[in-house]
Amino acid sequence: MELFLQQTVNAFALGGTYALLALGLAVVFSIMGLINFAHGELMTIAGYVLMYCGLAGISFVFAVPLALLASTFAAVLMERVAFRPVRNSSGATMLVTSFAVAMILQVLFQNLISVRSQPVLLPEALSGSIMIGGLVIGVNKLVAIISTVIMLIFLDRFLSKQKYGIAMRAAAEDFAVARLMGIRANTVIAGAFAISGLLAGVAAILWVSQRASVDPLMGFTPVLKAFIAAILGGLGSLRGAVAGGFLLGFIEIYLAAFLPPALQEFRDPIGLGLVVLVLLMRPNGLLPAASLKAEKV
Amino acid sequence: MITAPQRHIVFASAAIFLVIIAIAGLTSFGSGALERTMIVFLVSLIGVAGIGVYSGNSGILSFGHVGFMGIGAYCAALLTLPVPLKTATLPNLPSWLAATQLDFVSATLIAVLFVGVVAAIIGAAIGRLEGSAATIATLGLLIIVHGVTIGWRDVTRGAQTFFGVPRETTLWTAAIACIIALIAARLYRDSVSGLRLRAGRDNAIAANAVGINIQKERLISFIVSAMLMALAGSLLAHFLGAFSPKKFYFTDTFFLLSMLIVGGMSTVTGAFTGAVVITLITEILRRFESGFTLFGFEMPTIFGTTQIGIGLIILFAMFRKANGLAGLKEWEERFFARDISPPNAPVAARPVEERTELQASGLVMQFGGLTAVNDVSLTLKPGEIFGLIGPNGSGKTTVMNMLSCVLKPTVGSVKLGEIELIGRKSNQVANFGIARTFQNIRLFPDLTVYQNVHVAALSTRGGQNAEARTYAALERLGMLDRADADSGTLSYGDQRRVEIARALACEPTLLFLDEPAAGMNREETDGLMETLRKLCAELGIGILIVDHDLKLINELCDRVAVLNEGKMIAEGTPEQVRNNPAVVEAYLGRSA
Repeated sequence: MELFLQQTVNAFALGGTYALLALGLAVVFSIMGLINFAHGELMTIAGYVLMYCGLAGISFVFAVPLALLASTFAAVLMERVAFRPVRNSSGATMLVTSFAVAMILQVLFQNLISVRSQPVLLPEALSGSIMIGGLVIGVNKLVAIISTVIMLIFLDRFLSKQKYGIAMRAAAEDFAVARLMGIRANTVIAGAFAISGLLAGVAAILWVSQRASVDPLMGFTPVLKAFIAAILGGLGSLRGAVAGGFLLGFIEIYLAAFLPPALQEFRDPIGLGLVVLVLLMRPNGLLPAASLKAEKV
Repeated sequence: MITAPQRHIVFASAAIFLVIIAIAGLTSFGSGALERTMIVFLVSLIGVAGIGVYSGNSGILSFGHVGFMGIGAYCAALLTLPVPLKTATLPNLPSWLAATQLDFVSATLIAVLFVGVVAAIIGAAIGRLEGSAATIATLGLLIIVHGVTIGWRDVTRGAQTFFGVPRETTLWTAAIACIIALIAARLYRDSVSGLRLRAGRDNAIAANAVGINIQKERLISFIVSAMLMALAGSLLAHFLGAFSPKKFYFTDTFFLLSMLIVGGMSTVTGAFTGAVVITLITEILRRFESGFTLFGFEMPTIFGTTQIGIGLIILFAMFRKANGLAGLKEWEERFFARDISPPNAPVAARPVEERTELQASGLVMQFGGLTAVNDVSLTLKPGEIFGLIGPNGSGKTTVMNMLSCVLKPTVGSVKLGEIELIGRKSNQVANFGIARTFQNIRLFPDLTVYQNVHVAALSTRGGQNAEARTYAALERLGMLDRADADSGTLSYGDQRRVEIARALACEPTLLFLDEPAAGMNREETDGLMETLRKLCAELGIGILIVDHDLKLINELCDRVAVLNEGKMIAEGTPEQVRNNPAVVEAYLGRSA
């Protein structure tokens, strides 16, 4: 039982990170139909900012906002340079463009920074652990869970109360009509990228705080998982992305904890197999996007 | 069965044969290094064409196909590996497999068939996903295959190198396999299945309406493409002699996909172009990678020059030519037009035999809290033109969508004779003799006018006499002289006519037209009315027409029904309906 609770905490921490990433992907996808392969590179950028801040002796308290600022700015820049020219193209064209951007950024990191993994200086407090009701919980896990919750609440508030947030939701449901209502396409899309960059930054900090290192391919694996979380939840659906992220986190952690040793090597295939099973029952994901039903015949 | 003109296929196959033989022939005079590069090129080309068979025709980009290449490689290699080596390196292999040693060709054939079976199972599962979700699912497939290959140590040696595979792949075996694969890919593109799949790619809803089962065609193309990947995998395994699961993962996926995308994924011409361009650029950039001297300046070693180069080329291609360098057409389609000649034995347009009525009763459609259609009943008879009119938002199109099974009513029944239509899939309706057009034109824009109509004829009534039916339908709508144009490039009125021709090619008993005269001028509308009258009189087709053009409805229809706010408020001859006070009120408002 104790092991189970312990693993549940871990699942929340990992699932939360996936949820933030999947949410970042979903915000952009719901508005312009782009699956952003370069989302992982936004994470990597935030990771490198943390690393350089550590080297420069800047306190972690300042490093975190700097990292978030960097990934947010990088996301907006990425949209301006690479995605605006293909904005109205097919999903496949945009996906391929983002994949080229990711590839170029990875090589740039390798050349300009280092091919090898670099250590990141983290505050002592993060590596500690505390006792809650008999459970030993790592501070970094706790921080991850709390940050995820804060981000989700912040985003929910933003999307339901703020003018820009509401404009974004409108654009996600029907971009053409939203534009006719006087919502600026450039503003909404730049805003969506800013949010996705911010979310990638938060996810990067949580990811790095578990591993204390950063490498040029850091963002690749978690974002791969986030893609899967996003379709598991329902591509383009924001709530779905969060649900999919958490579910994938749970599947991975529980499989790692409770699968017999002989099958551990097949953990990833089994986990993905479970995802496929869910999708067979719900081809449009757990919480399908509203725009799916709206196609007029 | 092949739907393209014979001339196209002959030219395409001959070109593939000659070019590949020429490449192999020239290479055989070169160095060993050149030969190795060219073998890799030919194998990559098979892979690119293989992915193209699925991705190009279905429009779903696949990241998973290199996984099939991996399965093919391991499967064939396990069969050709010498028995003593097998017992030494893979002691836990099942005994029947450990004792087997086949020659290269049979091993490859078995691997190809095995992968075909695997793909059938996987494709059946993935086939239910659409668009980007399907793409991500194929990404999942790649990870699953990689994971299983690494985990299944007893058979694959896990993450370690699998070695000792006899090096059977020579330049000429690769060339022959490449010719076979490219011709197979080219034939599939213009097979009935390939044409249907491309129609589904261009417009899924319209494809269903002409009787195409997209999931079925998608599965066929998935299997064919996976088998081609297995061929490439087996060749690669017997070229390298030693490989590990890493060989069949993201690096090679991106390499092959960049070829496919830069060249253009919907044609074999594109696959070839992309493979040539990317291979050339990779070879050139690789020379620069280790640093070079330019005008006396020492350039530093830049790690990953090739990746950056490929990345920039992809960006350039996406910004400038999103459909790839070769575009959407094969080269021979650009150079040689299709001859459209009357069928040898002109088949008289088949008059409607079944005199079955379509009876809809008590149709109710609720969208959330909104009742769009409320208790509508109507009867459509062959040989009669029935008009459905009403103000905007009165539920006309919704009724039509329910009658053609695009929407399932909340309550109600639609009977064709004794057959209940409710609950059937929209792709079955065409074969019950119901064809339709759409309010927002839904053509297959990247197919020619001829192909638009032909694919409908091929997918209904068992595809019998498809060519004659296509010709007849085009002739009736006066579209023969534009038959070779891409339908997306036509004027609005012409697009409407093609849509009607396409519906007609299904040889329907009942034809549903949703605002057919929208966007047509007076003369065009008059011409359309003439055509419709003829269809009704000569072939005995029943027509359900929704339109706002009251002149058209009045002059054309035998009976008219009026909808207002989802309810049917009047039905009768145009005369009766015109004088009905409820209708006058709905259109003009109550007089004070």
